[in-house]
Amino acid sequence: MQASGSTMLTKFESKSSRAKGIAFHPKRTWVLVALHSSTIQLWDYRMGTLIDRFEEHDGPVRGIDFHRTQPLFVSGGDDYKIKVWSYQTRRCLFTLNGHLDYVRTVFFHHELPWILSSSDDQTIRIWNWQNRSLICTMTGHNHYTMCAQFHPKEDLVVSASLDQSVRVWDISGLRKKHSAPTSMTYEDQVARANQNQADMFGNTDAVVKFVLEGHDRGVNWVAFHPTMPLIVSAGDDRLVKLWRMSETKAWEVDTCRGHFQNVSSCLFHPHQDLILSVGEDKTIRVWDLNKRTAVQTFKRENDRFWVIAAHPEINLFAVGHDNGVMVFKLERERPASAVYQNNLFYITKEKHVKSYDFQKNMDSPTLLSLKKLGSPWSPPRTLSYNPAERSILVTSAGDNASYELINLPRDGSGAIEPTESKRGSGNSAIFVARNRFAVLNTSTQVIDIKDLSNSTTRSFKPPVGTTDIYFGGTGNLLILTPTHVHLYDIQQKKSVAELAVAGVKYVVWSNDGLYAALLSKHNVTIVTKTLEQVSTLHETIRIKSATWDDTGVLLYSTLNHVKYSLMNGDNGIVRTLEQTVYLVRAKGRNLYCLDRTAKPKILQIDPTEYRFKLALVKRNYEEMLHIIRNSSLVGQSIIAYLQKKGYPEIALQFVQDPTTRFELAIECGNLDVAVEMAKELDRPKLWSRLAAEALAHGNHQIVEMCYQKLKQFDKLSFLYLSTGDHSKLSRMAKIAEHRGDFTSRFQNALYLGEVEDRIQMFKEIDLYPLAYMTAKSNGLEEECQSILEATGLTEDQLTMPTIGEPLTPPKPVVPTYKSNWPTKATSQSIFEKALLGQVEGLSLEDDAAGANGFGLDEAADDEGPTKRDVGLVDADVDEDAAGWDMGEDVVPEVDSDFVNVESTEAGGASSSEAELWARNSPIAADHVAGGSFETAMQLLNRQVGAVHFAPLKPRFLEVYQASRTFLPASAGLPPLVNYVRRTVDETDLRKVLPIVPRDLEFLATNDLHRGYDAMKANRLDDGYKIFKGILHAILVNAVSSESEVDEAKKLIASASEYTVAMGIELSRRNLGTPDVVAQDPEKLKRSLELSAYFTIPKIEVPHRQLALLSAMHLALRNKNYNSALSFANRIIANGGASKILENARKTKAQCERNPHDAVEIEFDQFAEFEICAASYTPIYSGTSYEECAFDGSKYHTKYKGSVCRVCEVCEIGKHGSGLKLFA
Amino acid sequence: MDPYSAEGELINIHNHFHQGQYQEVIDYDTSALSPENALPAQVLVLRARIALGQFEDVLAEVQGESEPELASIGALAQQSLGQTDEAVAAIKTLAESHAGNSTVQVIGGTVLQAAGHPEEAIALLSQHQGSLDAVSLIVQIHLQQNRNDLALKEVTAARRWAQDSLLVNLAESWVGLRQGGEKYQQAFYVFEELAQAPATSSVASLVSQAVAELHLGRTEEAQAALEQALNKDPTNAEAIANLFVLAVVTGRDPSKMRANLEAAAPTHLLLADLEEKSALFDKAATKYSAKVSA
Repeated sequence: MQASGSTMLTKFESKSSRAKGIAFHPKRTWVLVALHSSTIQLWDYRMGTLIDRFEEHDGPVRGIDFHRTQPLFVSGGDDYKIKVWSYQTRRCLFTLNGHLDYVRTVFFHHELPWILSSSDDQTIRIWNWQNRSLICTMTGHNHYTMCAQFHPKEDLVVSASLDQSVRVWDISGLRKKHSAPTSMTYEDQVARANQNQADMFGNTDAVVKFVLEGHDRGVNWVAFHPTMPLIVSAGDDRLVKLWRMSETKAWEVDTCRGHFQNVSSCLFHPHQDLILSVGEDKTIRVWDLNKRTAVQTFKRENDRFWVIAAHPEINLFAVGHDNGVMVFKLERERPASAVYQNNLFYITKEKHVKSYDFQKNMDSPTLLSLKKLGSPWSPPRTLSYNPAERSILVTSAGDNASYELINLPRDGSGAIEPTESKRGSGNSAIFVARNRFAVLNTSTQVIDIKDLSNSTTRSFKPPVGTTDIYFGGTGNLLILTPTHVHLYDIQQKKSVAELAVAGVKYVVWSNDGLYAALLSKHNVTIVTKTLEQVSTLHETIRIKSATWDDTGVLLYSTLNHVKYSLMNGDNGIVRTLEQTVYLVRAKGRNLYCLDRTAKPKILQIDPTEYRFKLALVKRNYEEMLHIIRNSSLVGQSIIAYLQKKGYPEIALQFVQDPTTRFELAIECGNLDVAVEMAKELDRPKLWSRLAAEALAHGNHQIVEMCYQKLKQFDKLSFLYLSTGDHSKLSRMAKIAEHRGDFTSRFQNALYLGEVEDRIQMFKEIDLYPLAYMTAKSNGLEEECQSILEATGLTEDQLTMPTIGEPLTPPKPVVPTYKSNWPTKATSQSIFEKALLGQVEGLSLEDDAAGANGFGLDEAADDEGPTKRDVGLVDADVDEDAAGWDMGEDVVPEVDSDFVNVESTEAGGASSSEAELWARNSPIAADHVAGGSFETAMQLLNRQVGAVHFAPLKPRFLEVYQASRTFLPASAGLPPLVNYVRRTVDETDLRKVLPIVPRDLEFLATNDLHRGYDAMKANRLDDGYKIFKGILHAILVNAVSSESEVDEAKKLIASASEYTVAMGIELSRRNLGTPDVVAQDPEKLKRSLELSAYFTIPKIEVPHRQLALLSAMHLALRNKNYNSALSFANRIIANGGASKILENARKTKAQCERNPHDAVEIEFDQFAEFEICAASYTPIYSGTSYEECAFDGSKYHTKYKGSVCRVCEVCEIGKHGSGLKLFA
Repeated sequence: MDPYSAEGELINIHNHFHQGQYQEVIDYDTSALSPENALPAQVLVLRARIALGQFEDVLAEVQGESEPELASIGALAQQSLGQTDEAVAAIKTLAESHAGNSTVQVIGGTVLQAAGHPEEAIALLSQHQGSLDAVSLIVQIHLQQNRNDLALKEVTAARRWAQDSLLVNLAESWVGLRQGGEKYQQAFYVFEELAQAPATSSVASLVSQAVAELHLGRTEEAQAALEQALNKDPTNAEAIANLFVLAVVTGRDPSKMRANLEAAAPTHLLLADLEEKSALFDKAATKYSAKVSA
């Protein structure tokens, strides 16, 4: 097809004789073609296959139509016959006779069981195909009627005739007559019986409503508009005429001039304001319905067109010409779209730019209307999105292809026209960098690189025959030519790589930008970003689109399937498609796509298969295990796949069938399974295969078993010989004797080296010469004599050969039979182990966090060591933080006068950003980051009474270090120092603040948990340090909101309690070993007290249980039953792990018998008190105390003025304005 | 025609130099260049060799050469060898006699700035006639002086007459990293574009990309870029220094990086600064003590 103007989007073409009639199936991808040769063809135009041929007409067939719902079609031909066919039974059901000349067109009514036919006998007839009768004959035309069609909704018929007129008929009378079957009077029935008669005279069934005159030659075709009261007709006067009608009249609207030969057929576009017409001038012409101007013309070289038909729903048309039919679409359906992160930008059929959010599954309102872009009848072809500028590049195809650069509004506010746009001509336009785009002009073969103001910054000639360009990674272009793909470096203006792939039309980049899929009509080629081919695959069905899964699997769509391809080229079907879709994004089980009408759709897919294969390729056993456990991935295909791909050991896991299991087990050398299966099946063939395999493995025990099963005594004997198993060998000899198998006996005797036995055997079978020779050669003279005697011969009568050395059977060096050869550890993969539940890390249940040996070695009692099981403590910090005053006092030291940073005087250094931080913030951490240590210390001193800074030094330096980066700039100069901000979006230098490492969230998720872990694991020294570290880190820190200040307070309180608790327990352990302590009553008392105090700080309940348990055991061991009882009661009250509870209950029962303390200690279980963090003695409520202004730890008053034992920074009893963490 | 412009002969070698691809500069085939471009190309090659640490070789090579370009290269090499005073003296003489020579300006500016004479460096550089090398140096000097305002002015002015130049993009990004906000992202785009394209990728551009990412708070990406940089050059001081900072920012133990840095560049800015701050801390801490010693 030569198209003048734009290229034609042909979907299907057939070769045949002249095609006179065409009909689309309303649902299936079928088209019926009525041929001049008397044949009717049924084609699948999607697959391009001829489904059936119907040949019963005698002479040319002209009219053809599918029924909308029934499996029927109708045809009419030059044999005057109308035939109704079933395409299911592939037979003609019946023939309607009546016309007296050629039948030109036949059409089904859209709801009534009627067929409308037009004929050269000048009549138009309506037939009922259910009772196969003629119900109406419309006369009036006085020449051939060329075409007659029902109105799609109303009771109207329109007809065209060579009498140069178009007639509109009212058939409402006919409908009334045939649709009121219930209460029919006798008269009606009579009237009905005589209807034909009545028509001839009264003619009330079908009356002419309008006669449209205007054509001055015969009219060939006529059609109603699907929705509007319009009619279009085509005639031999080479004109296409448009008519309009009202209730009462009809008139000519306009004429479309352009055909220069007879116009054969015409129709209205089902959805758009277009008229299509075909003619003997070998053209298809598209007209604008509103302006009646030509929109497009497609010309064919040699063939005249005879008929055109439109698909009722989708954008497809079919034309019949001298040499067959052609199915085509008028416009590209592929919606222009681009994906950026979680958004899809696309252009609807109304030319509206919209975006779709994959996360929220939500469509945006219209962002922009592109009504004015390009020609009104050609949709935008491509869209390229620039996230940095939030702008789009849209190209439109057609005669004067152009691109347009438009900024998207921040949010959609309806269909607004773009306020300003930059445009130019070019076939392809894509963004290649944040501020550059490339435009390809195919006719001049030039690529321009333009900046955002649309001025060309450079331009170059691409390789010859360039058809399209795509993004090629930063600074590069992918240039497509019909035979090659080039990777072109824009900077160096040269092709850096090329790959011979024919006909690439689309390029789809993977999400990580490392791979690209090149799509051509029937091939998918996966390449790396440097254009090295990774894999390629061929599809017989046309490939439409592709997208990449996040895991690096390519999903692509063909006309009827969604398929996947792995990097190694493995591919398979994911699901079938009812209609064409354009994939844009794959996420989990959702596959996002745009359909033909450019609406986003979500397809559900099952990614199991390709996920599994991918996991297999990547040897990601956890993933595979997960898939196996959680999906129904079984069946022959996966087994065959695994086997084929060389993973029999994995396939083994899926198979139940013993035969297959045996095969797989042999293949992967899993002898245990093979033996098991062989036993189950017990077939000789299997045993021998197993034997051979086991022998190859050196597993002679299995070999032995197989030979036993197979009763292969000779092989068994030899096996015993070679493994050195003499006892079994002699048993074999006995068996042989028992069986009377002399050969076997001889063999065994030979193996055993038992000469007597051999001689005996020979004698038994009367082979005396051999017996004699054997005896002789082994020097058994007596035996020789006895044989001679027995045979009555003398030595002289014998001629003896020379006798060599007697045979001694070889001895194995190693007694192999005792055990198997040390075979290589069986190839039990981690995967198999996981399946067998042997690998803990892979088990899907959470590991119970084991905490063991928490000081129990000294408390070892009769019940043996107790293993404690403590669940992971929730990150929630204790609610009641000690009263730590974070008053809203005015911070007096805030320095509020800013230096004028805008000063413009030239020369002279200015202060760095870091110095500004100290001015911008009253938070100590910001001063530290700014390097202003003095002021930071001053702040801390005033806020929380910090006096001893040495422990804070690491934290100070940490904060300081985190805020400076080093940017390499000009060669020869030191790097530029830049300052890292936590206020990333802030540009006002008076508001910027530095980043502070290990912020509150980090501490709560990392350090705090490390602290808990140390507690659980009984590493108190570590835990003590960790919690102190947390306190130091919070002291020099900053948070982002008031609510975080509260969280910080909680964290401080918690860390402080833990520090005290651990300090108590550590000091108890420092008293000495249990023996030493036991001998010194003072120490014993102190030890018991400290263990009791250990239970006081407000630490997490599971941890407190540990403290209580430890205290209980210690008390119990020292016969302080009363204390032990109170601890046991508290443990029980706290609840939790059953083991601990049980332990406590036992103790409780034991102690209740004798609730007395052997050692008096200072611990009143009923009094309320806190622990002094310095002396670790109780501070009973009511007595005065001092505390640390930072961490809230309590002290006896005598410690006032010394450094806090918990944070080691602040002065006890010194009050401040409160720690500032948030400005 | 300006040989460094987009159509000029020296565009690629010049870009290689400023992208930090020094080896590519040295390997660049200069034989096909027209005679008037031979000397500028040679200067670039010599500067690249100095950047790669071949100070003595270069110094020996230009010894006794009379062209001001080569003489200034000699001064640069001297300074890199630590002979700062001689270098500065040589540059000052050259500046008097050949102040209009752009190579003398650029190299002189570098030497003077590195020797701690920013005012003189600016004075020499500001005599340039549309040299982007000079502009970018001026921008850097302003930034080192913390005069972001002046640096911004300089870049904006240069943007007007040399829009598409690599150096303007780079200098603008340097300024952007000081301005922050959206400018971080824009700077990132520039560095990423250089770092991720195989033809322009270098350690310097990778480190720059990582720095931009660190400022944007994207620590994982920054880590990846720095590791890429270290793969190319395991002893790159800037990459190690920034990795050290990154470790601190993400709350990991930075001591290994610190040891690496001490091994690779014992005189690095970061180490000197930390030394100084450590002393400062100790001094400041002595002012405070508890009333009662425990």
